[in-house]
Amino acid sequence: METGNPMYMRLAQAQVPFQFYTNRWEPMKALMMGTVFPELYRVYQSRK
Amino acid sequence: MWHYEKKLQYPAKVGKADLKMAKYLISQYGGPDGELGAALRYLNQRYTMPTGQSKGVLNDIGTEELAHLEIIATLVYKLTKDACVDELKAVDLGARYTDHDRALFYTDAAGNPWTAAYIQTKGDAVADLHEDMAAEQKARATYQWLIDLTDDPDLKDTLNFLRVREIVHFQRFGETLNLVQECQNAKHIF
Repeated sequence: METGNPMYMRLAQAQVPFQFYTNRWEPMKALMMGTVFPELYRVYQSRK
Repeated sequence: MWHYEKKLQYPAKVGKADLKMAKYLISQYGGPDGELGAALRYLNQRYTMPTGQSKGVLNDIGTEELAHLEIIATLVYKLTKDACVDELKAVDLGARYTDHDRALFYTDAAGNPWTAAYIQTKGDAVADLHEDMAAEQKARATYQWLIDLTDDPDLKDTLNFLRVREIVHFQRFGETLNLVQECQNAKHIF
């Protein structure tokens, strides 16, 4: 896909990397994590 | 049209009644970066999106935001339903009691009513998708500040689920922005 190539980046245009499938959690775990994709999961460290 | 499933997308468990938390949490119901605004923003922007993919993403995410709205409503209701009037007064929820008893209403944490001025539809897909990506980041930040405000592990767990969904939505809107821009650039529309 052309837009996945960094050479395609244009000035004055925002871009988010396309996600490509690598691996996934099991469905029941995914339902509880909020995503089936481990690479999209972000931990939040509370400021408390 | 929609099909309704009589269950929540994620369990809305609370450890104990916490009126102060309910007061803060209501912002994700009817506040500037809340779920009502998100759902209405996306479902309204669908019509002027240029591609089937962008219409579909707004439809799907807008629909999911309604499911999140329902989770927030359940949390707030559980946190307040058993409170007596004196307890509501003690955390400065007397004003809310005056106007709504223990019923839910679309306001921010300070009690300001929801307004359509929180959302925009520009008719320009790139502009609208930037607003949507910003909205996801603001909602993610709001969930983080709410997590900071509570010690209840059950409530933190539900809030963290909703926070992760905002991150996933940002990724999907970002990919949609790429595709819309690719489509527009191919047509030499600048």
